[in-house]
Amino acid sequence: MPHEVIMPALGMAQDTGRIVNWLKAAGDPVKVGDALFEVETDKATMEVESPADGFLTDITAQEGADVPVGNVIAYVSETAAGGSSEATVSPETTTHESAANTQASLPEGKAVIMPALGMAQDTGVIVSWHKALGDKVAATDILFEVETDKATMEVEAGSDGYVAALLAEETEAAPVGETIAIISPTPPADPVQRSIASSGTVTAAPVPAPVSEEKAHSKDKIASEKATEAVTAKPMVQPVGSRILASPKARRLALEQGLDLKNLVDAGRPQPFHVADIEFLKGMPKQETGKAEVQSRHITAEVRGQGFAEFVDWAIENAGLAGERTALAGFAGASLKQEQPVVSIESFGQRHTYFVSAGPLKNVVLGDDDTTPDLIVRDLRMSHLNKIQLGAEETPVLTLTSAADSLIITLECAGQQLAADKALQLLSEFAGRMEQPLRHLL
Amino acid sequence: MREITLSQAVNEALAEEMRRDETVFIIGEDVAEAGTPFKVLSGLVEEFGTERVVDTPISEPGFMGLAVGAAMTGTRPVVDLMFGDFIYLIMDQLCNQAAKTHYMSGGKMSAPLVLRTNMGATRRSAAQHSQSLHALVAHIPGLKVAMPSSAYEAKGLMKTAIRDNNPVVIFEDKLMYNDKAPVPEEEFLIPFGEANIKRSGADITLIGTSSMVQVCEAAAEILAREGIDAEVIDPRTIVPLDEETLIASAKKTSRVIVVDEGHQNYGITGEIAGRINEKAFYHLDAPVLRLGAMDVPVPFSPALEDITVPTPESVAENARKLMSGEMIHAA
Amino acid sequence: MRFIVHEDTMAKTKTNTEDYLRMYRQMVRIRSFEDNANQLYLSAKMPGLTHMYSGEEAVAVGICEALKVTDKITSTHRGHGHCVAKGANFKEMFCELLGKEEGYCRGKGGSMHIADQSNGNLGANAIVGGSMGIATGSAFTAKMLGKDDVTVCFFGDGATAQGLMYEVMNMAALWNLPVIYACENNGYSEYTKTEEIAAGSITARAEAFGIEAHQVDGQDVLAVNELTQKLVARARKGEGPFFMELMTYRYHGHHVGDINREYYRSKEEEKEWKENRDPIIKFRGWLVEQGIASEDEIESINAEIKKDAEDAVTYAEAAPYPDETEVDMHVFTDIKHALA
Repeated sequence: MPHEVIMPALGMAQDTGRIVNWLKAAGDPVKVGDALFEVETDKATMEVESPADGFLTDITAQEGADVPVGNVIAYVSETAAGGSSEATVSPETTTHESAANTQASLPEGKAVIMPALGMAQDTGVIVSWHKALGDKVAATDILFEVETDKATMEVEAGSDGYVAALLAEETEAAPVGETIAIISPTPPADPVQRSIASSGTVTAAPVPAPVSEEKAHSKDKIASEKATEAVTAKPMVQPVGSRILASPKARRLALEQGLDLKNLVDAGRPQPFHVADIEFLKGMPKQETGKAEVQSRHITAEVRGQGFAEFVDWAIENAGLAGERTALAGFAGASLKQEQPVVSIESFGQRHTYFVSAGPLKNVVLGDDDTTPDLIVRDLRMSHLNKIQLGAEETPVLTLTSAADSLIITLECAGQQLAADKALQLLSEFAGRMEQPLRHLL
Repeated sequence: MREITLSQAVNEALAEEMRRDETVFIIGEDVAEAGTPFKVLSGLVEEFGTERVVDTPISEPGFMGLAVGAAMTGTRPVVDLMFGDFIYLIMDQLCNQAAKTHYMSGGKMSAPLVLRTNMGATRRSAAQHSQSLHALVAHIPGLKVAMPSSAYEAKGLMKTAIRDNNPVVIFEDKLMYNDKAPVPEEEFLIPFGEANIKRSGADITLIGTSSMVQVCEAAAEILAREGIDAEVIDPRTIVPLDEETLIASAKKTSRVIVVDEGHQNYGITGEIAGRINEKAFYHLDAPVLRLGAMDVPVPFSPALEDITVPTPESVAENARKLMSGEMIHAA
Repeated sequence: MRFIVHEDTMAKTKTNTEDYLRMYRQMVRIRSFEDNANQLYLSAKMPGLTHMYSGEEAVAVGICEALKVTDKITSTHRGHGHCVAKGANFKEMFCELLGKEEGYCRGKGGSMHIADQSNGNLGANAIVGGSMGIATGSAFTAKMLGKDDVTVCFFGDGATAQGLMYEVMNMAALWNLPVIYACENNGYSEYTKTEEIAAGSITARAEAFGIEAHQVDGQDVLAVNELTQKLVARARKGEGPFFMELMTYRYHGHHVGDINREYYRSKEEEKEWKENRDPIIKFRGWLVEQGIASEDEIESINAEIKKDAEDAVTYAEAAPYPDETEVDMHVFTDIKHALA
């Protein structure tokens, strides 16, 4: 009996979880309690354990996918072969379950599609079908009426034949271009009647669009039962231009809490946004800000004299200094005023990364090159370059270049990496140390 | 507590006030022996005589004008207008004369009168005997408008109206005359401008007037079974309107439906929705909905008449839409 | 002839010299007020519109001199005459016409809604026939409260076209209300001759309800006063209602702006009434003839009133407007500021 592996509830505000990575692969043997995958929550990455002994099979969600809480994403089966066929939920899909097989059982014939209705319309509400399943139709017969923002439009069948399939029901909204009926050349043996809601297509928003104002009253009672069972998710509304539709309260809460509604748009959340969406927004992982939007800092300092070179020579001889890079790392690390900074020195096409602890330069220890540094010192003194403006990178960079009798030090970083005062302090102190290294030691 | 009908409650209120103040009198068509076609005033002429329960010819403008003059010179008439639909006939005397007497005289004269009339459809009385026209008079500065939603309100509001020194129009729902409600035996008054929260809730506010209060309460029951907690408020008087209570509720729940039996267009629902829009805008998570009677003359046929008015189902359905965040009107 | 005039000469009455002089003064006061009001309009100092009573003084004075302070009157859009005749002061009246705070209605009523309730004037009314219900109701109150107050309802021949008149006369007659309906028939309903807007007989309309109706020469202040005194006395005893048709004439147009009116009435006709049928000239002549006042005394009365009026105009022109905060006061009796 296969056990379901489900996306667990992650916290009050979270409706979906993003799979960070699978820790086991399909077919792997697993035991109860083994970590199967990692999911990202608003607080941290969480490991999800296996519910049973067996083999991990039928994985239906990949790394990077956002899966609704409660959805089954894999099974722990008795054998490595598992049960149902594997289908994937791509990272782009946000709200619906994986697509079932819908196309296989449709009759052959000419497809009738929802026509383009106007510049701003992506879906059309089918007001009424003028023909029934099995009816004979001529190409110019009116097959259905669709509601546009201006009036109701009649759409012709388009080909002679018989109505073999109706794939949307009255009052449903079908996307422009979607096949909503099939006209077969001969009377259909197995006519197909479907609604968009039941077919579960991934691309369509499977909800009837709101009934228009003039019909609201008269149809209210008649349509109320239909409406209640059909509404499961909000209709996808296309904003006009870049305008985001949100309720006044949602906007105010977003403003008060420093949240950006655009993140909801990017996440594909349907508009208009309401207070419930603000909760969702709070639970979303922090977005990386585009580099282009962030201000970068560029500060230079000039240090005269050969103080640093002389010091290095002396220290290697007399103080057990491992090398010049160690000194650079030590000085840079001390100037950053951070606990245990990691400083990388880039020189001659190579990078060496150092862990800098407080205290004498002996506490500057070479580490793994893989470690992400807090600060990079780019040593270009031997090159002909003197003025550097490369723009902010992922880490603050102190670039050393030569000019006549002095050393130019350029600090570049992103605004959010170092506050203005911190940036100034870093460069000032480093420059100070480079000018009079002995001060550092005393 | 004893329960009495709305009709009995009105009768009691009038009798008590007429005993208390001998300048109060009733005037209108068939108010004396007949006690009006709805029999609300039965028994009053026996106690107070025909000098104070005055039958008139079928002269609405005439007896309304007479009442204005009487009120201006020291008596306190309660004018009985048999059907609210007849308000069109008396508009000059009510709106040009009574409503403006105090203002036009710089505060030196006043017209303390009560116009007692009715509203409400679904009685199969067709277009000219089924209208709810309170919006027309609420629009006129100088008139106060009360809308009792049960026997309790009917008594308390009537007594306040008679003691008020301004012209007051009271609309009773003619379908409710036989509906009972608990009404204290001891004297009580319901002040104007005080709404009554009939049911406290957290998810959505339903504001209803007159019989729509019961409609909203029934809708709240339906919604409760679906896990939606509705708050039901009865404004009781639309002029003066207890805005504070309505706004506070809108801010609490962030969703409001205003339900009224006047026509939806250019009526009470639009006015209240407009005020909530102005004063609770940044607390709204959904548009404020207006739910009035259909904008058609009231049809005779029962099959048609019944669908022209808000019902518990139609209120609940709209509430569900607001809760789900569905766009009421496509972008 | 259009009118049936009962008497050509002044009727003799039993009132004394003081009463006569007061009658004369009141008529001159009305004329003086109207002349000044007209000037204010012509010199563009008065906002809005007003309607001149000049020529009809004997009607208002003859009737109001037969009333007590507690008797009530309702007035029309042509209401300055009634207002003065019922005891109002020039100062407050001019202030009201100019929309000043000291006006009878604190500037909020204006000419067409001027009221002086301390003197029993329930107000002018801008709606033709609009005050008929009010007058009837006032009489109803008097009866219900057991008072012997009488109400006089002034209205013009044009108002006989309003349905309300018949409704209230019907009820007044049914209930014997102490109200006197006084129809000031000045021959014109706005710009149309009365015979073109009122079919049949005006007095017959009242008689149809069983209401006793009288017709009288409206330019004869003593005749008007005598008739009124008789009817008022009977009304106090519960014999009302009554109806009076007073034949009179307005010198000015329908309203102050109605200056070129030859298209609906001739200058000859106006001249005839002004010169030969003026109520003030007639009464003056009678006073002198009866030895009640000399020409000099009359002249000094005229001069005094003229000065009073001018002083009042000067006062009113300088008087302050109501403060802006008053705009939403007095909408309701118990809410100081309606829009707060």
